[in-house]
Amino acid sequence: MLAPILTGAITYLLRNRAAKLFLYIFQVLYAGLAFYVFMTVKQTGPIVWNIGGYTDGLALSLYADSISIFMVLMTAVFYIAFLVYATREQYFRPRFYFLFMVLQGLMMGLFLSSDLFNIFVFLEVSTVVVSILIMINKEKQAIYDGMIYFFVNVIGTAFLLFGIGMLYRTFGLLDIRAINEAMSLLDSPRAVVLPYGMMMVTVSLKTAVTPLFSWLPKAHGTPSAPPVVSAVLSGLYIKSGVYMFIRFNEMFNPVIDMHVFFFWIGFLTSLIGFIMALGQKDIKLILAYHTVSQVGLIMMGINMASEIAFWGAVYHIFNHAIFKSTLFLTAGMIYEEYGTRNVYQIRGLFKRMPWVAVATTFAILGITGAPFFNGSISKYMIAHGTYDYTVTLLLNIINLGTTMSFVKYATMLFGKSPKKGAVKSDFYALTACVVMGVASFFTGIFGEGLTQFFFNYEVHVNVDEYIQKGMVYVLMIVAGVAFYNGIIKHGGLITRIGHLELTFNGIITSMAGYFIVLVVYLSLIL
Amino acid sequence: MDFITGEIVGILLFFIGLYGLMTKKTIVKTIMSMSIMESGIFLFYITINYTDGSVPPIGQAQEAAFVDPVPSALMITAIVIGIGVTAIGLTMFMHYKQKHGITHWSRNRNQTGSEH
Repeated sequence: MLAPILTGAITYLLRNRAAKLFLYIFQVLYAGLAFYVFMTVKQTGPIVWNIGGYTDGLALSLYADSISIFMVLMTAVFYIAFLVYATREQYFRPRFYFLFMVLQGLMMGLFLSSDLFNIFVFLEVSTVVVSILIMINKEKQAIYDGMIYFFVNVIGTAFLLFGIGMLYRTFGLLDIRAINEAMSLLDSPRAVVLPYGMMMVTVSLKTAVTPLFSWLPKAHGTPSAPPVVSAVLSGLYIKSGVYMFIRFNEMFNPVIDMHVFFFWIGFLTSLIGFIMALGQKDIKLILAYHTVSQVGLIMMGINMASEIAFWGAVYHIFNHAIFKSTLFLTAGMIYEEYGTRNVYQIRGLFKRMPWVAVATTFAILGITGAPFFNGSISKYMIAHGTYDYTVTLLLNIINLGTTMSFVKYATMLFGKSPKKGAVKSDFYALTACVVMGVASFFTGIFGEGLTQFFFNYEVHVNVDEYIQKGMVYVLMIVAGVAFYNGIIKHGGLITRIGHLELTFNGIITSMAGYFIVLVVYLSLIL
Repeated sequence: MDFITGEIVGILLFFIGLYGLMTKKTIVKTIMSMSIMESGIFLFYITINYTDGSVPPIGQAQEAAFVDPVPSALMITAIVIGIGVTAIGLTMFMHYKQKHGITHWSRNRNQTGSEH
């Protein structure tokens, strides 16, 4: 955990070509270490490290079980790709990769830490690091967005700190697993309503669910932030919120059960996410709003109260990391080449940047859930969590929305390029993009095996049903194209919806409102 | 006046800070409200489970109950983080104001100057 931070510091001091080489070697070794620990956990079960030699539960401890170590492995592996992508970029200076590596260490800390106060510290520090990364170019809009991100998240973590204080008052414990055990001894569940509300505000803010997502497009889609930063934020960092959601809900599980509430929150999030995405014309903003939508889908899966949907959602976390990172990275190359981020002005990608176009296509097929791609497997698993007709319908609505806005995104690929001939792109960046794009295909084909390997959870994809889904997918594409030509192209209402935005005060107010709604809802059901 | 305990005051301060954040558009006031909120939390923590007449857990004094040292230890960390965060917030604000002369949260996303 400390290793990436140290490496960052060392390379910051080295400052030359050797530093970069050192960085790659380290990252590969680190991923190897993560894989080794992963295998150990897989064979022997959860590992606990206690610091300071105190008994478990009182000491500050690191805890690795199958989900957390999976997240760690994912982060370590993706960082290789990100580093390779950024090799030749201008912003890849010591200052940048120092912070970048620090962020990796902090994320590892978030995933592994079992102590609530440590989680708070990691969150606070990573907020600082991320906001500096967002405004590393010191451009006006980037600083403004970075500031909003910074303040909103600092205030959000203040909620978490307060919630932890209340929990400590009740239990006198700070360890997640110890509190989980103590929870069942509680006299009345009402004692934990307030802390639960407080902590869920923070977690929901981090995962960017419905009323609280306004900061996300600002942070992830800010014009001048380097594409690698957007990719990390959207692909990996946002998942730490989802991960905390899983952890905290597990902790409160003996007393509080909120999956119905969060299922609907997830649905609303996805719905609003893609509606907003439809109204955008900036490619980075389209992708950012799409992250909102996909996170909503993940939340739905987690809260469906069925095992297959839960693992489907976790697998979707992984898949989303692959294709959203690919999309952000390729988007970065595209707008650098074309000099604009307007989706209507970029045309003829296949002719001008063939390999980038291939990577983009793979990622788009992945995110829309085309047969054989990874998105289809995890969406299939989520859809399998229910036999309820309404829920299936809701999932299909979300899929349709995703398809619609990616039809819009895909128009970039075709048409006439303003300039003749293909452009030679940066080799390293290209390799990273193509490898990740192709990965979204292979993780789809070997979906069954991979879920078995990662989570010890067996999935059997029913062929008939899968073919049926494939047909539905084709229908969706047709509907998406029709919608695109019919409505979206002409703008109007949908563009106006897309430009709705909350001010800073609005974001804070919705945070307070969300807190009140949570507490009222909880006191009603308990 | 039994109800004015550290915990109640802490909670009140927290929500006063939150109110400030919800209503004030000046960035400096945002930072101030944030500090108020944090002070509320610190006060809440250090008065958790405090009983009258307890002594600090230093030395071998046995006649009175010890105060729980953990919240104080946590708050030392949190105060340090809080100072850091406030400092960074102020730095960002100063930089932003000096360069672009903006002191308020604006209503709409500024679309100009971001074409690239």
